[in-house]
Amino acid sequence: MSNEIVMPKLSDTMEEGKIIRWLKHPGDSVRHGEPLAEVETDKADMVLESFEDGVLDQIKLKEGESAPVGAVIATMRGGAAKAADASANGASAEEPSGGAFPESKPRPVEKKAAPIPIRAKAKKDAPQPPAPPPPSEEQDEAAREVHPAMSSRRSAAPTAIPMPPRAAAAPISDHVEPSSDGHKFRASPLARRAAEEAGIDLAAVHGTGPEGRITKRDIDNFLREQQLFRFRRIVSPREGAPGSHEELSKMRKTIANRMATSKREIPHFYVTMEIDMEEAVKLKTSLAQAELIEEDITYNDIIVKALALALARYPRINASFEGDGITIHPSINIGVAVAVEDGLVVPVIRGCEQLSLIEIARVAHQLVAKAGRGGFTSDELSGATFTISNMGMLGVEHFSAVIVPPQAAILAASAIKDRPVVRNGVLAVGKTMMATLSCDHRIIDGVVAGRFLQELKRFLENPASLLL
Amino acid sequence: MANTRYDLVVIGSGPGGYVAAIRAAQLKMKVAVVERDRPGGVCLNWGCIPSKALLNSAETMEAIRGAGKEHGIDVGEIRFDFQKIIARSRAAAEKLSKGVRFLLKKNKIDLYEANAEVTGPNTVALQAVEGKPALEVDKLEAERILIATGSGEKLFPGMKVGDGVMTSREALVHDTMPASVAIIGAGAIGLEFGYFYQAFGAKVTIIELEKQMLPGFDAEIAEELRRSFVKRGVSVLLGHGYKSMARKGDLWTVTVDAAGAEKTVEAEVVLVAVGRTPLSARLGLEKLGVEVERGGFVKIDDSFRTTCPSIYAIGDVGRPPLLAHKASAEGIAAVEIMAGVRQPGFDLSSIAGCIYCEPEVATVGLTEAEATARGIDVKVGKIPFRAIGKAVAIGHADGFVKLVVSKEYSEVIGCQIIGNHATDLISEVVLGKTLEATTAEFGHAVHPHPTMSEAIMEAALAAEGEAINY
Repeated sequence: MSNEIVMPKLSDTMEEGKIIRWLKHPGDSVRHGEPLAEVETDKADMVLESFEDGVLDQIKLKEGESAPVGAVIATMRGGAAKAADASANGASAEEPSGGAFPESKPRPVEKKAAPIPIRAKAKKDAPQPPAPPPPSEEQDEAAREVHPAMSSRRSAAPTAIPMPPRAAAAPISDHVEPSSDGHKFRASPLARRAAEEAGIDLAAVHGTGPEGRITKRDIDNFLREQQLFRFRRIVSPREGAPGSHEELSKMRKTIANRMATSKREIPHFYVTMEIDMEEAVKLKTSLAQAELIEEDITYNDIIVKALALALARYPRINASFEGDGITIHPSINIGVAVAVEDGLVVPVIRGCEQLSLIEIARVAHQLVAKAGRGGFTSDELSGATFTISNMGMLGVEHFSAVIVPPQAAILAASAIKDRPVVRNGVLAVGKTMMATLSCDHRIIDGVVAGRFLQELKRFLENPASLLL
Repeated sequence: MANTRYDLVVIGSGPGGYVAAIRAAQLKMKVAVVERDRPGGVCLNWGCIPSKALLNSAETMEAIRGAGKEHGIDVGEIRFDFQKIIARSRAAAEKLSKGVRFLLKKNKIDLYEANAEVTGPNTVALQAVEGKPALEVDKLEAERILIATGSGEKLFPGMKVGDGVMTSREALVHDTMPASVAIIGAGAIGLEFGYFYQAFGAKVTIIELEKQMLPGFDAEIAEELRRSFVKRGVSVLLGHGYKSMARKGDLWTVTVDAAGAEKTVEAEVVLVAVGRTPLSARLGLEKLGVEVERGGFVKIDDSFRTTCPSIYAIGDVGRPPLLAHKASAEGIAAVEIMAGVRQPGFDLSSIAGCIYCEPEVATVGLTEAEATARGIDVKVGKIPFRAIGKAVAIGHADGFVKLVVSKEYSEVIGCQIIGNHATDLISEVVLGKTLEATTAEFGHAVHPHPTMSEAIMEAALAAEGEAINY
């Protein structure tokens, strides 16, 4: 039996998708829920996950190629039993003919790109399995928290949509896999507890213990993988119950106070510039393909590095208004807004002027990981001299951010999109990003803001400079 | 002549080697085992098994001695035949060694009773051992070779076994009861023999360089054990380093040193129990470029592979801890990894350590001190056995259970038990730890009453501040 895998419709507006990377190769056995490929859509990069057990047969759409929704992109063969048999019992089935037992070939553990089905979806679509222990009302609410920034916590699921195979319409065959919510989760108590605290749906975790049991290590790995996807995630909007009233959490109170103070006291003005990200996209892709470094360099890391270079040349942007004077900060400490349960935190990458792109990526990963589980030191959350808020992964066209006092400015980075550009007098399709700088007019005047953005644009459009 | 080409040749038939061989046979490999001594290795012949037989005699002795005092049962004068005690222990070893021989045969594993030398990545040369049947072959061809040669008794430089100086191996067959014994080393072996000889009335002195018994164990456990030994009349010299030994008439004089002050201990026999050393020499490994680390351990990777890809090593010869059950588990893991049915890697964190003197000591995972040193925030649930009904009823109310629990998730990351049947109790924690249980599972699993195991349940509750009986 061979099933066709088609390009799924991953968003309302999606008409075609591009394969960024195949995570499985022909001949690989694939388990239900395992990631098959990363797909680039008009909105975001997403993970396509398998809807059934089997063996990936043929890949019809190569990496980097696009296909319309519904087009066949690969075929799968075999049922669950066969695939499992081949990989698990192959060795013992061998005849003992004088030293001819198979060479040790443990299946490689897929390190990257775990799919994280949307939690809410898993809850609604089918009867909930006995585990994990149901979160309380409050936690469940919090699970759908959204913030227009990078996300890292329970709301932070990169979108992975189970792939509907064409042959799935066939009558129920003997090896039909129970629906994604029907299979039992074998998980250790510790793993359950860690998953509960991190807000992870166990259905999304691939267990590596005996018989696929989920262990603490699987949860740790899962969380690590999640970090790699933090800029690709689409966060489901919080569903506040109509007519309900909710107490302010400590974090919400802080956010409310600081944002209100900012808008009340800081005379904001906004400058937007369209930045051609073609080269930055290439840089990111080539860095990923080179696989020279462990860190998954994100667009945000690239923008932070460019900001550090631009801020070094425009120290006035890296400043604070203090009533009787303006302090120009000696060091460039860039805060990165990260969505967490019930709000956001802004961990700080300190001393950016001295950090390479890789170092920035490394620090950012650590900080975002901490945002997910807590444990910040006060140093890591204070002392920012500039902040970036990135809504690129939400497909946002353009937005402006509220300055975090006592900083002088904040950069709002929107999505990188295909837009018409004029190159050498010819209209072409380019990848551009809208960047909006919100400035404190008490410190910064329009011309400085404009020049700063030009400088930022220059670095991002010539990203080789970011590697020096 | 028999076909001497094998998928796997295992050198050593101890708890690591014979178990690995059987698992390999189950996985359809053609397997040979080379053994120079008796099948079963040190564990069955010169360690775990015969020593437990002796300790059982000691416990019986203690029970009878306590019968009058505690239970009002008049047993009259107690006499014993020490030769019979030793003979009983040997019989147990002999029986189990035969059992291993049978198991190998049953699994169609060829047993070669010979000395082995690895002469090539796929070749094992055999040399005859005196007193064993003549060899039909002198060379085995092997797709893979598994080194499971274990460890041997360690001696200090200049020490010579014989004339009243013994290691555990000699002590196990020493069938005259000594009037006095000096034991160098307060590790598992030293303590077990100390308890044994004390039970039969010898004057026992235990000499230990470190400041506590069972160096490396939880300090509270070690101190509890020291008190118990001292109460029985054992002389315990902690922080005393061995200096020298001299024969004086019928006795040995052992000179020890404590912070510069010398002291002498006189005893009829001296038992040297200062640890064990991996048996990696004389296998020809260095000629093949197989790396041996300091201390004699063969360097292995996650798959138990040595630096020569066709040669593997498990058990004592590979890495500490030097424990039979670890060797067996590693043997199974190594063979399964070879066959591709298991991922590389082996979790050493849930290997229990057991000491079988009375009170028994059993531990698994991290102690409170170790956890703290690793930066793990822990809480400890401690329950003395005197809070447990069964312990009081059977007259074994001494000792306690300590459960080390992470603050983050209430994960049980370690357990130390001292008390009667501690070594049987620890398995519950080993299983729980392997399953990544938290205090909730230990505390909510209904433990039968009255049993000693209730102490573990209570300790789990105690870690959460919810102990009922304490």
